[in-house]
Amino acid sequence: MGHRAGVISSSDRSEKMGWPNSVHEARRFILGQLPGSAAVEGGSADAERYGRADEPAVLVEPSLTEGKSFRAIDVRSPDEPWLQSGFSGFLDGTQQISIVNQQKGVPIVWAKISAAVRVRVDRRLLAWHANAPSVSRRFYVPFRYLGAVDSGLAGDSRFVDTASPKRTETIPSRHPAALMEAALQLIQNDRERLELDLAEAWCARDDGILYMDGSITGSTIASSSKKVVGVIKTHRRLYADGDAFQVLVGLRAGERSSMFRVAPRTRSSVASWYVRIRETAGHDSLFGLVRVESAEDIEPARADEISRWIIAEGSPLSLPDGRWDKMAYGIRDTEEFLRAIS
Amino acid sequence: MMEALGRVVATERKPNTPHEFHFWTSLDCPVGIGTIVRVEGAHPVEGKIPRIYGIVVEGFSYTDLQTPMHDVLSHDGRPSNATFASSERAEIRLYTAAVLRQIPEEPLQPVPMGEVFLAEEADVATALRMDSYLKDGANTGIPVGVYRAGATDSVIYLDADFLLGPEAAHLNISGMSGLATKTSAVEWLLASLFAHFPASKGSVAAVCFNVKGPDLCFLDQPGKLEDRDRELYEKMGVKPGPFENVTYFAPYTAKGFGLNTLRSNEALLHNVKPLTWGLREVLQYAEVLLNKDDIDAKADALIDFITERVVDRRFDQDPYLSREHTVQSFGDLENWFKDLLRGLEKANSESWRTHHIATIRKVRNRLSNISTRCAGLVTDTGDVSDLPFGSFEDRAVYVVDVATLEEDAQDLIFARIVSKLREHLERRDLGVKHLVVFVDELNKYAPGDAPETYVRKMLLDIAERGRYLGLVLFSAQQFRSQVHRRVVGNSGTALYGRMDGDELATPGYSVLSPATRTKLATLEKGQLMVRHPHFTQPIFVRFPRPAVMQGRDGAERFPQASDVTLEHALYRSLRTVDPAVSMAWVSTLVALYDESELIAARNAALVSKPSNVRAFFESRLRKKIPAQPAFSGGLAPRESIPARSLPDDDPYGL
Repeated sequence: MGHRAGVISSSDRSEKMGWPNSVHEARRFILGQLPGSAAVEGGSADAERYGRADEPAVLVEPSLTEGKSFRAIDVRSPDEPWLQSGFSGFLDGTQQISIVNQQKGVPIVWAKISAAVRVRVDRRLLAWHANAPSVSRRFYVPFRYLGAVDSGLAGDSRFVDTASPKRTETIPSRHPAALMEAALQLIQNDRERLELDLAEAWCARDDGILYMDGSITGSTIASSSKKVVGVIKTHRRLYADGDAFQVLVGLRAGERSSMFRVAPRTRSSVASWYVRIRETAGHDSLFGLVRVESAEDIEPARADEISRWIIAEGSPLSLPDGRWDKMAYGIRDTEEFLRAIS
Repeated sequence: MMEALGRVVATERKPNTPHEFHFWTSLDCPVGIGTIVRVEGAHPVEGKIPRIYGIVVEGFSYTDLQTPMHDVLSHDGRPSNATFASSERAEIRLYTAAVLRQIPEEPLQPVPMGEVFLAEEADVATALRMDSYLKDGANTGIPVGVYRAGATDSVIYLDADFLLGPEAAHLNISGMSGLATKTSAVEWLLASLFAHFPASKGSVAAVCFNVKGPDLCFLDQPGKLEDRDRELYEKMGVKPGPFENVTYFAPYTAKGFGLNTLRSNEALLHNVKPLTWGLREVLQYAEVLLNKDDIDAKADALIDFITERVVDRRFDQDPYLSREHTVQSFGDLENWFKDLLRGLEKANSESWRTHHIATIRKVRNRLSNISTRCAGLVTDTGDVSDLPFGSFEDRAVYVVDVATLEEDAQDLIFARIVSKLREHLERRDLGVKHLVVFVDELNKYAPGDAPETYVRKMLLDIAERGRYLGLVLFSAQQFRSQVHRRVVGNSGTALYGRMDGDELATPGYSVLSPATRTKLATLEKGQLMVRHPHFTQPIFVRFPRPAVMQGRDGAERFPQASDVTLEHALYRSLRTVDPAVSMAWVSTLVALYDESELIAARNAALVSKPSNVRAFFESRLRKKIPAQPAFSGGLAPRESIPARSLPDDDPYGL
């Protein structure tokens, strides 16, 4: 059987194509690798419909390490009407998830995850040259449900088995949403790993203080370093049950909460506190609220200082990002940077 | 290897084309409107890496801010609070460049993605296609200024073949009065032209009409230069000195005592020559001075008759004339008219040789009037002092000062001189092969929306056909849009100094980008925008201050001579021919002769430049025996004779 001029067969294509760099290339790549699969059109937004990897919203009693009651502490200083920030770097990661193909109802997910540090020099944000940004492009596939596939694929580290007992606590069912949830969880883990690798590199190579978007509990090095501060914008788990809850939602701009200890089961323990960046008038109670994570041995005065830095990072506004009330401009800049390079 | 200063970018909404591309740079990059850049393509086309040269015509700057309101909110509505923000917003400098040249030139493709570099000196020459006329063997480059960007300091050359012909010719310069430095630019360019015009192309000279103030009155005097000017002169290979061969021409004042010029200071009179014409010279250009009502067909026919049959001929055997006439001056013509009209009246005749008496009276009136309207230029006696047509010298400047003359006289001077230049260039006997004619205030002499005038017709003629003769027009005006389109349209090279905003809003400037127009409206003194046939886009250059004394400085250093007496006027002017002339000798003659006779003799002496001025001058005067003083010459005093006494009986005695 001959070839039409300009048309490349699937096998030829997979040989000639490098590792996919875009959703479109990923779709063609899988068509070459899994001839029985069908391409799925649509963007990354569709992937969100299949499943959510978020943890449930819960209230947790805070384990106080500062004072005896959960209280609001004004961190503003009358001597310093305009807050200065001491952060010299910003770390964030992004993920782009797409269902590129499906075979017999099984979604094949392609994800591009990346992380980078941006350093601040003369008030301008630049790439951190000590460590290049990390970009990973991988397929997330439940090989168990695909039947017989090329054994080379299953052994390729760029194919992540989302239904493997090695990677997940429970093997997901064949339900597409369950498979998607499993894939999303693994993608988030991979992204966190990229971010924490960079945070650890920062601890090793830089003397400044790093503003990391997200939790630092996943890294022993980062969670014990005075050079990394984690800032969490999402509050599925609120460390403010009982009376503490009223104190938390009543925090005013420029105030922080008492410090408490966060010690997840499989992660490192850290000192944590909440900071209100902006006034909530006219907004919901979590507007402008972030939770800060730092090494456990932090002094209250240092917590005040870091809180002031975080408040200072609220300017300039990170609009048009929808999370602008909580997001530092340096983090938005990092996200834009990752969008540009990945 | 120079570091890249930018990268070409293109989006679907803002794509690159074969004639335009976009690139971004760092915030501190030395790129601005008018900067020339080079793009190195990333992928070969037909085996060659494309190289594109462009000039920045537009610039954009923006941040990631979605609306200005977000910035207001960021800083609590207080601009001063912005300085406290820990981070500055991501910001872009995005430029649009117009393509100057693509190499290879075929296939002509949209500008590819690639790195952008600041153009170096060799790049500038290639980008502007100057390499074709700067190479060995061609070498027709005339420096017009220096292009500067970053570390690049590159001389920009005009092609002499496109400035003085034969390929294209003429130069026009526009700009605001006082700020565009139009006159300075022309003075500099003439110096550069004289220094660099290749000998193989022949000789070149310039005739400049000084139409206002003392602008061109001190071209032979050194001006003030700063070190940076000298550096520019050195870089462009031009000697920073005044013009070495300058001659000034100016008519006399109406009284006829002195020359009607701002360069009347005694210290500068050595190269100032009178410009006077007689009847013959003026009649040829009567059309310039007579409006259409004056010269109907009948009057025109009579003027032609007078020019052909009366002037410079013995006119006798006419029944109406009482005597023989040889008309050589306005005075002779007036006498001829008087005699003729008297004869017609005596014979009660209504016409003479088909010309009606009313036409004769009208023509007499109009022609006689010319010597009054152009007093000082047109002489009743017929003496002629003119430009040295036929013996023009290479690299010489001839300035005709008409700044203080009436409009009629200016028009007459311009029309006649340009016509004569053209005639001589056509016959190849002017003395030089190429001649630049500089005319300022073109808005006045060649307006686009005024009735046709003789002067405008002449300017159009030079603009359209001059380059074939070697007659090149350098013109200047404030508002290019108001000059006749064919005059400016035929100027191969156009220079622009600082421009007025209203002028830039006219359609003629719509081909320029808004940023280029803004730059034109804010150009510093000494900066010009240059358009030249070889340049596909206008280029901004800097030129040095001319090395000649500026009009204002000259007027202060060499103040205009005050109104002088006849004695002083004669003494001054004759001393330029013979320094031995004494005031006492002049005073004696002034006491003896009429003013008009002395002035006529003076004019003749200045034209003839005799070896013995005193003898020549006296020979032109009527013989008079000077009064002898009593008891002079050693004669014995005559004996006094007492008056006879009256008779005692004289009845009329008192």
